[in-house]
Amino acid sequence: MTFFVTLNLFQGQHDGVRVCHRELLGCALRAAKQEMSNFLRNKAVVTLIVLLCLGIVLGMVANRYSESGKSWWLQDAITTVVGPINSAAHSIAGVFDGFVGIFRSRASMATENTHLRNQVKQLEMENSKLREAAYENVSLRQALGLRQSTSFPTIAAEVISRSESSWFDTATVNRGSNSGVEKGGAVFNHLGLIGQIVDVNPMSSQMVFLTDQNSAVGGMVQRSRSAGMVQGQGADDLVLTYLPKDADVNVGDLVVSSGMGKVIPKGIPIGRVIQVVANSLAGTTSALLKPSARYDQVEQVLIARVGQGSE
Amino acid sequence: MKRYIRPVIWLLVAAGVQGSLPACISIMGAMPDLVLVVLICFSLAEDPAFGAALGFVAGLIQGSVVGMGMGSLIVTRTITGFAAGLVSTRLFSANAIVPAFSVMWLTVMCGALFQLVNPRLAGPQAVGIVAGQCIHNVIFTFVIYTVVQFLETGRKNRIINSRF
Repeated sequence: MTFFVTLNLFQGQHDGVRVCHRELLGCALRAAKQEMSNFLRNKAVVTLIVLLCLGIVLGMVANRYSESGKSWWLQDAITTVVGPINSAAHSIAGVFDGFVGIFRSRASMATENTHLRNQVKQLEMENSKLREAAYENVSLRQALGLRQSTSFPTIAAEVISRSESSWFDTATVNRGSNSGVEKGGAVFNHLGLIGQIVDVNPMSSQMVFLTDQNSAVGGMVQRSRSAGMVQGQGADDLVLTYLPKDADVNVGDLVVSSGMGKVIPKGIPIGRVIQVVANSLAGTTSALLKPSARYDQVEQVLIARVGQGSE
Repeated sequence: MKRYIRPVIWLLVAAGVQGSLPACISIMGAMPDLVLVVLICFSLAEDPAFGAALGFVAGLIQGSVVGMGMGSLIVTRTITGFAAGLVSTRLFSANAIVPAFSVMWLTVMCGALFQLVNPRLAGPQAVGIVAGQCIHNVIFTFVIYTVVQFLETGRKNRIINSRF
């Protein structure tokens, strides 16, 4: 800045001063060169630049491995070290939770007990209805000569840690490639679809919840079979997009996985429609969903093998 | 090389504990970033080169554990560690107030950098996350910094005593 001001001061002066002007310019350039050389010779700055370059390269390598579905030894090594610490912290947190639970008031426990009893009765009724429907389904399938294709192999797992970073809706489960978990496998529980496996290590795997900004799975309205894409938006709700303009979708409709793409099994509940939004400009309809599963209380999950149970 | 061992162990433990924090303590959708707090607490007492290197390791650990966004985590943590190291040469003092303030503005800087290199969330949501993390990290700094200082000072005293 001073350099430019000085230059301006010398503008329009006679020839003698122009020589001084040139000398000053040379001086300033030499000083700038010296300054830059000192800056680059600074050990800390060089370390920072080298590490940033290395970080970018490692990020690209990690991305490449993630896209190819292979596990990277460096990530495996770190998760193998962190895994036991994670499990230990999870166990301690469990003990602490149990300890806190003892101090709950008796009244709230009684209320919860009544609520649970009612829920059990309701579930028993639903279960008997579903069993009846399953028997009917089997007889209809036999009658139509279709093969039974509703069941798919799963791997039982436990969520050992979650939300390692506030920027990602992820969790770690205690089953990895040694147990047959594959990248892209659907993670669900008795309430519905929870997420997908994004990274697999030998002893554990990382899953991303449906609510994550980058999460997207094929979904369809169970009643009308209108298919679209269920996407996370970083909040508690999900959004069913890419529905046709005249799609038959109403508030309260259940949205299930469509099985398209042959990754997520078909028919797993995802959520219920709470709002329908028509976009007249784009000629599409989207629906806001309340997830079937409660992601904050996920403990025991099932992981579907990739490509099983889908269309 | 030897001086990196203990901070790296601390970072690994922080990464392990991070996933078991109860969801009920979340503020505006943000959880404390224990790895970031440990990184800043150690970098504050050292030079910028050490901070950058420790930040690099912190990003690597966090990226591996999260399973996503390793590059952006490494880059943001390396710059944060470097900045924390710069603070040490000018502001470092023995009480926990300076680290708490440093953690506050470094969390904001780290969050802004992260949003810049990996824009995942909408503006207001990202601001909420950074604000929540700021509050959490400052609270956790008092705990972690005190523990780190207690253990590290005790270790240094034992080394000095053994020499005499």
